[in-house]
Amino acid sequence: MTATSAETIVRPSRATTAADSAGVRRRQGFQHGGWFVAPFLALFALFVVWPLLRGLYLSFTDANISGDSAHFVGLDNYREALKDPLMWDALGHSAYFTLLVVPCITVLALLLAMLAHHIERGKWLWRLCFFLPFLLPSTVAANLWQWLFNPGTGMINHVFGLDTPWLTDKSYAMLAVVITTLWWTVGFSFLLYLAALQGIPAHLYEAAKLDGANAWHRILHITLPMLRNITGLVVALQILASLQVFDQAVVMQDFGPGPENSTRTFVQYTLEQGFTSYRVGYASAISIIFFVLIAAVALARMWLLRNREEGGR
Amino acid sequence: MTTAAPPVRTRPRRGWTPGQIVLTLLGTAVSALFLAPLAWALFTSLKSETEAVEVPTHWLPHDWTGQAWTALFETGNITNWFVNSLVVSVCVTTIVLLVAALAGYGFARTEFRGKGVLMGVVMAGLMVSPAVLGVPLFTTVQQMGMVDTYWGMILPQCAPAAMVYILYKFFQGIPRELEEAAFIDGAGRWRVFFTIIVPLSRPSLAAVGIFTFISSWNNFLWPYMVTNNPDLMTMPNGIATVMNSYGIQWAQLMAGGLMAGLPLIVVFVFFQRQIVAGVAHTGLAGQ
Amino acid sequence: MGQGMGRPGLNRRHFLAAAGGLTVAGSFGFAGLGTGADALASGADTRVSYWNLFSGGDGYNMIAMLDSFRRDNPGIDVEDSTLQWGSPFYTKLAMAAAGNRAPDLGVMHLGRVTGFSPGRLLDPWDPVLLAKYGVREEDFNPELWKRAVIDGKLYALPLDIHVQLCFYRKDVLKKAGLLGEDGRIVPVTSTEEWFDVLKEARKATAKGRQTIGLWHNDQNFQWWFFVAFYTQLGGTWFNDARTDVTFDTDKAVQVLEFLRKHVADGYADPSFGGNAGAEQFVNGAPFAWEGNWSVPVFDAAKLDYGATPLPPVFGRRATHAESHSFVLPHQAGRGGATNEGAHRLAAYVVQHARQWAAGGHIPAHTPTLSTAAYRKLRPQNEYVSAMDHQATEPKVWFAGSTGILAQRVGPVVVSSTTGSAKPGAAARRMRSTLAELLAMKNPMDGRTAAQGGATA
Repeated sequence: MTATSAETIVRPSRATTAADSAGVRRRQGFQHGGWFVAPFLALFALFVVWPLLRGLYLSFTDANISGDSAHFVGLDNYREALKDPLMWDALGHSAYFTLLVVPCITVLALLLAMLAHHIERGKWLWRLCFFLPFLLPSTVAANLWQWLFNPGTGMINHVFGLDTPWLTDKSYAMLAVVITTLWWTVGFSFLLYLAALQGIPAHLYEAAKLDGANAWHRILHITLPMLRNITGLVVALQILASLQVFDQAVVMQDFGPGPENSTRTFVQYTLEQGFTSYRVGYASAISIIFFVLIAAVALARMWLLRNREEGGR
Repeated sequence: MTTAAPPVRTRPRRGWTPGQIVLTLLGTAVSALFLAPLAWALFTSLKSETEAVEVPTHWLPHDWTGQAWTALFETGNITNWFVNSLVVSVCVTTIVLLVAALAGYGFARTEFRGKGVLMGVVMAGLMVSPAVLGVPLFTTVQQMGMVDTYWGMILPQCAPAAMVYILYKFFQGIPRELEEAAFIDGAGRWRVFFTIIVPLSRPSLAAVGIFTFISSWNNFLWPYMVTNNPDLMTMPNGIATVMNSYGIQWAQLMAGGLMAGLPLIVVFVFFQRQIVAGVAHTGLAGQ
Repeated sequence: MGQGMGRPGLNRRHFLAAAGGLTVAGSFGFAGLGTGADALASGADTRVSYWNLFSGGDGYNMIAMLDSFRRDNPGIDVEDSTLQWGSPFYTKLAMAAAGNRAPDLGVMHLGRVTGFSPGRLLDPWDPVLLAKYGVREEDFNPELWKRAVIDGKLYALPLDIHVQLCFYRKDVLKKAGLLGEDGRIVPVTSTEEWFDVLKEARKATAKGRQTIGLWHNDQNFQWWFFVAFYTQLGGTWFNDARTDVTFDTDKAVQVLEFLRKHVADGYADPSFGGNAGAEQFVNGAPFAWEGNWSVPVFDAAKLDYGATPLPPVFGRRATHAESHSFVLPHQAGRGGATNEGAHRLAAYVVQHARQWAAGGHIPAHTPTLSTAAYRKLRPQNEYVSAMDHQATEPKVWFAGSTGILAQRVGPVVVSSTTGSAKPGAAARRMRSTLAELLAMKNPMDGRTAAQGGATA
């Protein structure tokens, strides 16, 4: 319920923006506006814009980790990257991870939120339990599950009577990372869903009840449609976060690439190229490729969103 | 925290209907599933190292011992890491709150040349993170001579476009009349910002602050890249790169993990309402 | 939440505000100082920071040696840090040296030194200082010393040689009739004999235990075993000029099939990969192929066991060997008392390596080897001969423990051993990978291996 109010807070009323009373604003704002944004822009320029430009420049050189002079090599790095099977492999692993995590987390978060929403007693307790793992550092969550999946002494195999080589077989290693991630991050999406559920006006349900709709119908025809926007958000946030997976995968495999390289993600490969093989130029080139990819996903989402909004009007 | 809207109970509590019993049981089962790994970590940390790897595995220690916990404090640099994590997270949160609030307000309520373009650039910055551009970011920080320093860890975490965007949207929603009244009384922009805007936006600032603190406390990737000296490492980084190196000392590793997770968990239990609102608020703002 | 509580709430809020303010101020103070929390506590004259990658038993032995150094040299404050073994360690060391924040002393695998840009990321040892603290070239295995010298300068001070071993449990092997009169495992000279041994051992093994643990899905171990057996077959990697790949795929197939058979015939259980192999050994599995650093682990478990170099199943004796050595990571202003302290510490540890030998390693400082105390160590005396039958990676910039070579080729070996690729296909992939690496330029100096890209 708290979150409902929060949600209304962030949705600004467009009316005020339109009805700018220009006089005061011009007189007062013009001189000072730049100073308000200056501190942020300075940090932003130094640690976001500059690295991006620098990365672009480095990607055309054979720079190494020492920071010594580098030579211009044209498009060599990009040419090599497109033919680099390990890069495509790593990209495939990140994509595979994303494909598994996003649907699972979305469905699981929704189910948990509906559960917590509909139990009338001890709401804070359910919220606490489902959200708690999200408060752990990624490395702690990964260490914990590495211990749970540990061959021989692992609790998972013990409890479920399995004999699965979770961390040491290439067909399970990424699955283990996925399971860890589900446990660790589902709480975040769960909270978003919970906030959205609490924001659905109760009168809709009351009306449906009067019309004789059963619980299943109410979920299907009221809850789910009302959650469409939030689902779009959850999915988008999860896709962007999942493509950038790194922490859990490396920690669970002791900073290695996993059995037969099966858990080496794109981010990991970039860092390996830059910091283990010392090829900063090449690492920059594949980082730029990755950036373009992420940007494409983000832009696709914005485009979809805009289309839907226009369609809705 | 004044945000917490009065929790309106739309329906009176209906008591234990069969449906509620089933749901509660289900909730309990799922909760147990979620908490079991943490319980397992706790029990492991209270075993001796040899008992921890005993086959077959068992839940409760046969011999309860705090040995892993004492060893953690005696041998490791866990207290250093704790202080480092605190220093970094507090600095990051303070700086982010300050610069993001100013920038959000600047973009929402003031005029200056190139505002639209700059806003667009900042929004594009949402797509840049240490995970995406880690290597060039490292070489930048390396050039500045900030590898293995606190500032090297802190400053690159202090330019989150997302937080500016959230506050920008919030400030846009504050009625202009409040400011205009103050202007008429002769107050300047800055005074208006600090005496009117900031107090009004405490819930939003709290949300941004909480979210920033959690992400900074838990941040692994950037501190991992920029710190090599174990004395300077933060908790998640130290546990992953230094403690792990003892390999099979699971009891200590679990104790260390709980140590790293505990502060936020304790804080959460006390400030649950605010944190939940904060996370939901920042998350929903992306809509 | 706070309101509605009246005065106490207000007080609490004041208190929280004050505490918060103090925390913020303190944090910025710390960040401003720019030093670790630990630095505040130190007051010794000379501080030597020292990074190593020794965990487990090695870690304990190293700390014990450091403690005895501290007792003998109270003026020097040694600040040692243990980092995650393997490529993360080299990543950290390289990044620290590149960012000019390197420790005063570091440990490195000797095979990695050539690729670690001596001169740029590493500083050379000062022979005068070393001599002052008692280090003499003639006290070291000449092969090792030669590998540590690059462009006429000494860049690494060898500490040990460590090898891959075949550990066996005497209790199980005795039951299987596989122990000779000297209480050691019967000699094995061919693959047939070896699998006969495994077959007999399996019969004597308790239920639920595998016969042998050989890290079948670990890219480092599998690569090391491959190097050992490939060397037993007399296989080579490149020609001397480093222009051509001389890798023999037929020989490689033999080795890969040999490794694969352990898993295919069920001697190694696929569900006991990684560390579980050692845990199985402790719990009654008859064999484990492990590095000699497992000696203290099995000693601590009070097992009745022996250890030989990897069996010479292809005729010639050879087992994979690497070497730990001390290095001076590059510092712009290296010199003075701290640098001298680093020399003193390294010289001390190298010459007091008997404690180190308890960790299973063969000391590089040869006078230690001939002491009576060392000769009495078991099972060290059973495998010390391995020093004369070393199988090492080729000497090129991309080789060395967990180096690029191991990272690229290791997973290929694993794919064959676990059965996800056919040995023939894996051998061809290894060959093509070697060719790619040979054509690759060393990022640190822009030269290929043939152009002398930082070769010794």
